[in-house]
Amino acid sequence: MGGVDVGSEGGKKKATNAEINMVPFIDLLMCTIAFLLITAVWVTNSRMNADAQVPGPPNPDKELTPQTPEKVLNLHIGESDFALVWKQGATVVSEVRVPKPPPNDSPVIRYPDLAKKLEAEWNSNGSHRDPSDKKLDQAIMHTDNRTPFKEVVAVLDALYATKRKVKLPEGDKDLPVFNMTFSVR
Amino acid sequence: MGGHAKPPAKHHNPHAHVIHQPGRRLMHHIPLKFVWNKVAGHGRRSGNAALNLVSFIDFLITTVIFLLMSFSASGEITVDKNVKLPKAENVEDIIDAPMVAVNGNQILVDGTLAGSTRAIEELGRMQKIDELFNLLKNKRELWKQVQPNKPFPGVCILQVDQNVPAIVVKSVFQTAAFAGYPNVSFMVAKLPKSGG
Repeated sequence: MGGVDVGSEGGKKKATNAEINMVPFIDLLMCTIAFLLITAVWVTNSRMNADAQVPGPPNPDKELTPQTPEKVLNLHIGESDFALVWKQGATVVSEVRVPKPPPNDSPVIRYPDLAKKLEAEWNSNGSHRDPSDKKLDQAIMHTDNRTPFKEVVAVLDALYATKRKVKLPEGDKDLPVFNMTFSVR
Repeated sequence: MGGHAKPPAKHHNPHAHVIHQPGRRLMHHIPLKFVWNKVAGHGRRSGNAALNLVSFIDFLITTVIFLLMSFSASGEITVDKNVKLPKAENVEDIIDAPMVAVNGNQILVDGTLAGSTRAIEELGRMQKIDELFNLLKNKRELWKQVQPNKPFPGVCILQVDQNVPAIVVKSVFQTAAFAGYPNVSFMVAKLPKSGG
């Protein structure tokens, strides 16, 4: 067990070696481990944001002034490719197509090429870049009704891969540059 | 007599060696062999074995630190057992909000049935799901009654099975927005960062 040797002074004096009893300490550690193991959460679930508030709630306190519409990224999920179309109102500003990788047996769908292209597109056409600008660029996802949800999430994952620093009251935070909503006909 | 030289006195400084070399010390100062034998157990090996606990305590402390670091005070979020979540890398932490579970057959709000997935698929077009709308609206009104001075966050989380078609997701998304929840989040299983 744990002890402290401070030197012996001979046989007649009381021993000055102190023994620390480690058993209660080990008991405490064992109880702590048991508690933490029982209450541990091993599955890590997270969330991905989407927004149905397009273009945003009208504020009755503010006077409406005619403004040029913002550029919006329209992301079309096709059979064999993705179309990235920047629109300003009804005007098409630019259009880029990214080929879709062929389906494989992997349980997780990933589109790294789409993520890279989206980053390049935001660098050339993105409107909100300043760290003090809390507004995000809007992306509208157009997808077929039969598209499985895992493919929608894979595209969303590629869309949220590009991040920028945003100054928030609680400190600087890396946020995705886009905010997604679904296209509804 | 006086010619005999006195042997030099044994010099003993008690502070000379604070840290002693390990070894047997019990009754060692008694210069009697039978005492030494008694202490040493008549020359036999002692039956008491001392375990070195230092490494054991080190292991326990390391385990406690690891478990404390990975401890989550918010607790486990229940996921419907029929829902297989898709995986994604660029995600955010879960927040406390109403949970809408969408599996291959049903739509559930915090465990209460709120619609059928099959009906939407068979219809083949987007629609407002009335049961889901009413349940979410009731939850919103209850929240406003409980916390009248706070602005309603309008956040709900969708636990959607990875094979559910987009038409169901869009219908649930639109219904949630109509019910006053415009900030809809999708629950996903977190993938480790690829580092690319």
